[in-house]
Amino acid sequence: MNWISSLFFRYWRNVHFSAVVVVSVILILNYPAINGLISQAAIGSFYYPFAKLKNLVVRLSSVDRENEMLRQSLVDASVRLSRLDEAERENLRLRAVLGFEPPTGYTLMPAQVLSISGGRIPTAAVINRGEHDSVYVNQPVINRDGLIGRISSVTADFATVQLLTDPVNRVAVRVADSREMGIAKYTSHGMILDNFPIQGDIATGQQIVSSGLGGVYPAGLIVGTVTEVERPAEAAFSNVDIAPAANFNSLEELFLLRPGGS
Amino acid sequence: MRLIPYLIYLILIAMHQVFLQDMTSIAGVRIDLAGLIVMAIALYKSEVITLWFGLVAGVVWAAGMPDAFGWYGLLLALVGVTAFHLREKLNLESFYSKILFMLGGLVVHSMGMTIIEGGDGVMTRLWTNALPDGVYTTIVALIFLLFKDGVITYQKFKSIF
Repeated sequence: MNWISSLFFRYWRNVHFSAVVVVSVILILNYPAINGLISQAAIGSFYYPFAKLKNLVVRLSSVDRENEMLRQSLVDASVRLSRLDEAERENLRLRAVLGFEPPTGYTLMPAQVLSISGGRIPTAAVINRGEHDSVYVNQPVINRDGLIGRISSVTADFATVQLLTDPVNRVAVRVADSREMGIAKYTSHGMILDNFPIQGDIATGQQIVSSGLGGVYPAGLIVGTVTEVERPAEAAFSNVDIAPAANFNSLEELFLLRPGGS
Repeated sequence: MRLIPYLIYLILIAMHQVFLQDMTSIAGVRIDLAGLIVMAIALYKSEVITLWFGLVAGVVWAAGMPDAFGWYGLLLALVGVTAFHLREKLNLESFYSKILFMLGGLVVHSMGMTIIEGGDGVMTRLWTNALPDGVYTTIVALIFLLFKDGVITYQKFKSIF
């Protein structure tokens, strides 16, 4: 036995080297039982904790990404929802407009308001119709509620509507019931009926319509409703306040009146 | 022989394989950590330790490839033991000689791994993958040697501030 140990210690380096080579050759020969066991042991003891950690990190980062994506889709969904709400409102408006009949002798050309200008009260609106649509200056503009104004300028694709709220825009009107005439105009106090005789037949709640005498607006377009009538003593004219039929703060779909048609 | 440090080296190799490798790779050039550790052991430890640790490190490094880890183990053991014998023959007192020694060993190991991997374009990959891997790992080895040889120490680092 002694000689074996002395031989081992004399050539110990070669023994180790040979052992390493033998082990390597066994591994290279790839016996599934041995290699599988070693592989499993190495993976289970050295790799598994790190693989678990990596999976956790990957999962956390994917959760973060997913969170970001969901947040983005939530924003998209809310934008779409508000668009749908808007479309629903538009749908309701257009449904209301659908049965809208133009005055006799006119046809309607729909137009969309692109922008509104003016101070506290809007006085002008730009619409998406122009010379290409045969729009002309002084063409009457209405909506489903009543008279809106007239075209004041036209470009190739756009036109500007001078609204009734513009103080320089005056409309020849009459009281729908009594047929008495006057001039409707907008002042800093709101719409009034100007030059209406003190003895004229007018009362609160009566409708004011265009008379058709000014040459711009056809007769019979609703301008507003009388809200207050004041007859000062020793005055020639009454003070008549009118509530405009149209809401000038929410103009969207307008109609241009075009002569012709039934 | 204390086993704990070698177990830590093996854990480091596994950790590097699982995620550090991706984090530290630059344009596909990776650190050959197993080769670096075996070369460092060949530089500072005994032949037997280098031999066995090379084999085990190669097997652990390629644990996911049971049909090939024998080759990787043998390669790393041979590179380690060859490096050890070269170290015995050469004068490696100089810092630069150690760096060159590391570079040689790491490039040979990377090339060996490329050959074992086989597949198409092995000769090309020797230049495009193995050589850059060896050089990149040598840069890491340079940092290691700077600390190991005391060129950079905690005290020196602290004295800067």
